[in-house]
Amino acid sequence: MSGGGAPLLTIEDLHVDFPTDDGPLHAVDGLSVDIHDNEVLGIVGESGSGKTVAALAILGLLPKRARIQGSVRWRGTELLGRPERDLEPLRGEEIAIVFQDALAALNPVMTVGRQIAEAIQVHHRIETAERARRVVALLDLVGIPDPTTRADQYPHEFSGGMRQRAMLAMALANDPALLIADEPTTALDVTLQAQVLDVLERIRDRTGTSILLITHDLGVVAGLAERVLVLYAGRAVEEAPVDELFAAPRHPYTLGLLASLPRLDRPPRQGPRFRIPGQPPSLVRRPAGCAFHPRCAFAALPTPCATERPDDVDVGPNHRAACHRVDALAGITPDDLAAERP
Amino acid sequence: MLSYVGRRVLYSIPVILVASFLTFAFVRATFDPTAKLRQSRTAASAIREERQHLGLNEPLVEQYGTWLGRFVRGDWGTSERTHEAVSAQIGRALWNTTQLIVWSVLLSAMAAVAIGVYSALRQYSVLDYTFTGLSFLGLALPAFWFGLIAIEFLAVGPKQWFHLSQPPLFFVGLHSTSGGVVDYLRHLVLPVLTLTVGIVAGWSRFQRASMLDIMSSDYIRTARAKGVPRRRVVLRHGLRNALVPLVTVMALDIGALFGGLIITEKIFSVPGMGKLFFDSLLAGDATTLTAWLVVTAAFIVAFNLLADLAYSWLDPRVRVA
Amino acid sequence: MRPRDGTPIPEPEPIGPSHLLPPADVGFATAGGVTSRSPWELFRRRFRRHRLALVSLGVLIGLCIVCFGAPFFAPYARDHQDLTLGAVGPSWHHWFGTDELGRDELTRLLYAGQISLEIGLAVAALSTLVGVVIGAIAGFVGKATDQMLMRVTDLFLVLPALAVLALALEKFGHDSFTIIWVLAALFWMYVARVVRAQVLVIREQEFVEAARASGATGPWIVVRHVLPNCVGPIVVNATLAVAAAIVAESSLSFLGFGVQLPATSWGRMISDAEGYVGTSHAYLLYFPGLAILLTVLAVNFLGDGLRDAFDPTSEPA
Repeated sequence: MSGGGAPLLTIEDLHVDFPTDDGPLHAVDGLSVDIHDNEVLGIVGESGSGKTVAALAILGLLPKRARIQGSVRWRGTELLGRPERDLEPLRGEEIAIVFQDALAALNPVMTVGRQIAEAIQVHHRIETAERARRVVALLDLVGIPDPTTRADQYPHEFSGGMRQRAMLAMALANDPALLIADEPTTALDVTLQAQVLDVLERIRDRTGTSILLITHDLGVVAGLAERVLVLYAGRAVEEAPVDELFAAPRHPYTLGLLASLPRLDRPPRQGPRFRIPGQPPSLVRRPAGCAFHPRCAFAALPTPCATERPDDVDVGPNHRAACHRVDALAGITPDDLAAERP
Repeated sequence: MLSYVGRRVLYSIPVILVASFLTFAFVRATFDPTAKLRQSRTAASAIREERQHLGLNEPLVEQYGTWLGRFVRGDWGTSERTHEAVSAQIGRALWNTTQLIVWSVLLSAMAAVAIGVYSALRQYSVLDYTFTGLSFLGLALPAFWFGLIAIEFLAVGPKQWFHLSQPPLFFVGLHSTSGGVVDYLRHLVLPVLTLTVGIVAGWSRFQRASMLDIMSSDYIRTARAKGVPRRRVVLRHGLRNALVPLVTVMALDIGALFGGLIITEKIFSVPGMGKLFFDSLLAGDATTLTAWLVVTAAFIVAFNLLADLAYSWLDPRVRVA
Repeated sequence: MRPRDGTPIPEPEPIGPSHLLPPADVGFATAGGVTSRSPWELFRRRFRRHRLALVSLGVLIGLCIVCFGAPFFAPYARDHQDLTLGAVGPSWHHWFGTDELGRDELTRLLYAGQISLEIGLAVAALSTLVGVVIGAIAGFVGKATDQMLMRVTDLFLVLPALAVLALALEKFGHDSFTIIWVLAALFWMYVARVVRAQVLVIREQEFVEAARASGATGPWIVVRHVLPNCVGPIVVNATLAVAAAIVAESSLSFLGFGVQLPATSWGRMISDAEGYVGTSHAYLLYFPGLAILLTVLAVNFLGDGLRDAFDPTSEPA
């Protein structure tokens, strides 16, 4: 879709279902996306949109009960359906992941230094002393003060922001080609968020690492990503370069998200902020047609929006949207939507 | 760390003191040390003299003070049943009970960890269901009944079926006069088996649950995401964390075993703490009973303490607290 | 907002843009509005799924019926004995055989079951009641009472239970009434702790303040707000207490500190048959033991099923 050369990672028509009492829950429902070398791709969506599930599916980390279909290719090699043994050399070495809740994601009975060292150890046979030096260097890289002392401490002795950065250090231990950051800033307050984003930015600039940035926060994406994918109910509804997405979104959901953002660059309007009506859809009983149509202000009802699933429509270079009404949305800005409140 | 230990020890002392006072008062209220004299129709004046001598006319608290003073100095009194020093009696009994506990705990711990880990990793497999079924059975088996059935089918039965001169396993005491390691083991198997069944059932369920809990935790996912091989994930991250609660539970249970083998020791006539309690209770031996209860309570308190220490040693998060 | 085909625009849900902010997809299995059900509906669904627990409930009810209906179901009269017959193994006339006095073993088992079950049920009921009352008092009154309760609980936990029970029965006597309250005296602590913890949580909540302000009293608040919130652990614990009490009683009976003749419990029957180990009368040992095993197994399965059904976080078995 964008950039040149063969993609690093290709996700094609990925489906992930979880069996539940009420039938299968479609966490990811036909997701397709490419990630290239040296690229920061943002994936945006609200809770339950399937962002985390998709990330876990890439590395084969989903629970066994998950049913996975489609294709995930790393440098052209299929990853889905491969045994653990084949994925282990890839994990942490080529693709690394940072989880959102660092306190839960770090082993409480192992020092932070040892956990980072382990990430190196399982992939490279190097001397203990050298490994220890690398651990300290990594902690230093992510901006943890006094890294030598900190390496010998346990996760609970770290502050929230430091833990998240230690997770980053662990993910970067082997200079991965792709770093998946799953809500790296969600659990943090604003100043700490800025620190973590800073580290991510430095990584992007210093190393050739591609970053897959998963978040619900459009602000985070705006600062870091080059390309953005908007996910709704397990499906990509819009994909565009970041500036274009913000300036000229072509999917009503993206439009709604942008309209509900608080704006600091102008005086607050009268009345409450814009909000997308309704609630996220049930992933078990997905609305027929376009999953967004019950909440959509532009929907043509009943056909085609409530009956047919929209296909991806190319609306510009590197810009696609899955909507029947892309044409109706041309030229509408988030401000229009926000201003038109009843 | 040290202050933590200190605080825990300090808290244990009043618990033991209050427990020993209650024990003392309760045994006093239950048994009359002069009951034997009464039965033998000793003159009333002699009984009065004996009561005076034993200090039974003093207020209870004062009697307890006297008793406690002697107790901490190692004078635990003389058994009314055997006319032997209570401390010597308890010492001997403790040694026998300790042997049963050590073997049972070793076996149970190994079996429980193995079963628990296997069941958690292969959840809902045929063997997991089998272990689950067996553990439910093990938890529901009344120990005394299982002991008798074991004697029937593993000792007396085989002897009759195969016309042996001796049963393959012994069920009385811990040694024959002949002695020897084989003889010792043949005595040990049945009581240890009886104890182990229930303990393994409980511990393996516990281990399975805590292993399942931990294997679904975020940090296990992190370890896998780092590319750590499965075996190492299970042992270094899974088992290491699952052992924290298990060791705590083990320590608590072991403490309770010192006063909890009454039935097993009675069935297999092992002259340990349980048998001593049983015999003393039947004989109304108040002096031995009081000391026995205080000693077993002390063991429970000590192992509770040990459980706390093990916990703080295994889990760095507790150390700072 | 744009009108769409004349349909009225629905009022925005109160979740607003905040639905974009808090927690990301950790709970993906439940996210996205899976139809909600009432807790009781959920309980029934989960419990019915537990087939073993259902079967166990049936077994327990059946046991209670045949034991307490022994005059109807027992093949012989309670005191029927045939000394000339003596101890004979299982046969058509005596399914479980007879004992040395020529008494039918099945008949004895049913009548002994009355005592065992009665003790189990009574101890569970009594200890639960006591536990709820003491836990509620400790939670509401707080401070000194609370401290005392916790220390007493600690104290009970450091004494070897079976030894204390035997000693207590030696002092207070061996009839089943005494056994019941002595056992209950050792079984109430857990429920008390659960209820106390729940009271402490509830007490801080605003609706209790409101209830108090509008004149509700402590007992009413406990009944209306506290108990419904800890009914799960209470019921599960009461269930398991039945099994624990039956085992405790049979252990004591086995040691000779339980019910005394002429009353007989299952434990007492095993104790009586101890001497027959390795003889041709060993069958006298099997049936009472199997009866205890069956009862305890059924109670444990039932408790497990109830626990799963009450606990929304537990996974289905």
